[in-house]
Amino acid sequence: MIFKDKVAIVTGGARGIGRAIVLMLAGEGANIAFSYLKSVETAEGLKNEIEKLGAKCLALQMDVRDFEKAKELVEKTKEVFGGLDILINNAGITKDKALMMMTKEEWQEVIDTNLNGVFNVTRNAIVTFLKQKKGDIINISSVSGIAGMGRQTNYAASKAGIIGFTKSLAKEAGPYNIRVNAVAPGFIDTDMVAGLREEHKKNLKEIIPLSRFGDAGDVAGAVRFLLSEAANYITGETIVVDGGLFIR
Amino acid sequence: MQDIENEIRNIIAEIVEKDPSQITPEAKFFEDLGMDSMMALEILAAIEKKYKISIPEEKLMQLTSLKDTVAVANQYLK
Repeated sequence: MIFKDKVAIVTGGARGIGRAIVLMLAGEGANIAFSYLKSVETAEGLKNEIEKLGAKCLALQMDVRDFEKAKELVEKTKEVFGGLDILINNAGITKDKALMMMTKEEWQEVIDTNLNGVFNVTRNAIVTFLKQKKGDIINISSVSGIAGMGRQTNYAASKAGIIGFTKSLAKEAGPYNIRVNAVAPGFIDTDMVAGLREEHKKNLKEIIPLSRFGDAGDVAGAVRFLLSEAANYITGETIVVDGGLFIR
Repeated sequence: MQDIENEIRNIIAEIVEKDPSQITPEAKFFEDLGMDSMMALEILAAIEKKYKISIPEEKLMQLTSLKDTVAVANQYLK
């Protein structure tokens, strides 16, 4: 139980990678507040699962695009659990389309959720971390933000933005014993990837050195490492979890 | 009242690494004392710790001089 009695916020925690991170943290003894946007039933189920693991859980339906709601998420977490130690900015969406077909709304919604959402929640948590001179932040980026990906100009821009945010905040908050890191998943077996065409999926698996899509647990494993004492001297870093697909 | 002003002056002096005599009530933290926003936060946190009070972070912007800081602290001191 390496996170025993720590308090963690995970945005977009009901499904996919967020869910795997939530379960990993709960399994390691942390109390969890997670946000979700639409998946009410899935969120309730997850809450029960966490409580069965013996951890405390707060599930909050909110949109990370809303600064005031993000504030509420942080305040409520501190109120219910008496503190805050870990923030995982995971909430993200895709609206894939060739740029020539992309509407302003499709651009805006992805940037607002994926990038501005990170600002909204982190801005509301940072003063607590600075004051207590302690805190860990993990931002979920994507290899799309490093290598680029056709039909994902909006998503890739938001995910690259997250890496810049991570590096800058790591420099700014490092003297206050706050570590800020990112994880950049490649193709992970979640609903986000399930939408890809079968043929495309088959082709991808052929060029991934580890010959499979990752599962959400692979990403949670990297998060677990970055939050652990083993990573005490690592900050501003982005760990790529992609089965070797984008080896540079 | 005077005591609190002196105590807070000492907290500020320690954080900005200046002699307490330089922290006059009107001296501007940022312009006159070379303070940065992180130091303002440290002052806020040190005051909260010393008096066991909680000051909302929105008040951070109001910490611009010793006089203003004492005024903010007084709002939360019983």
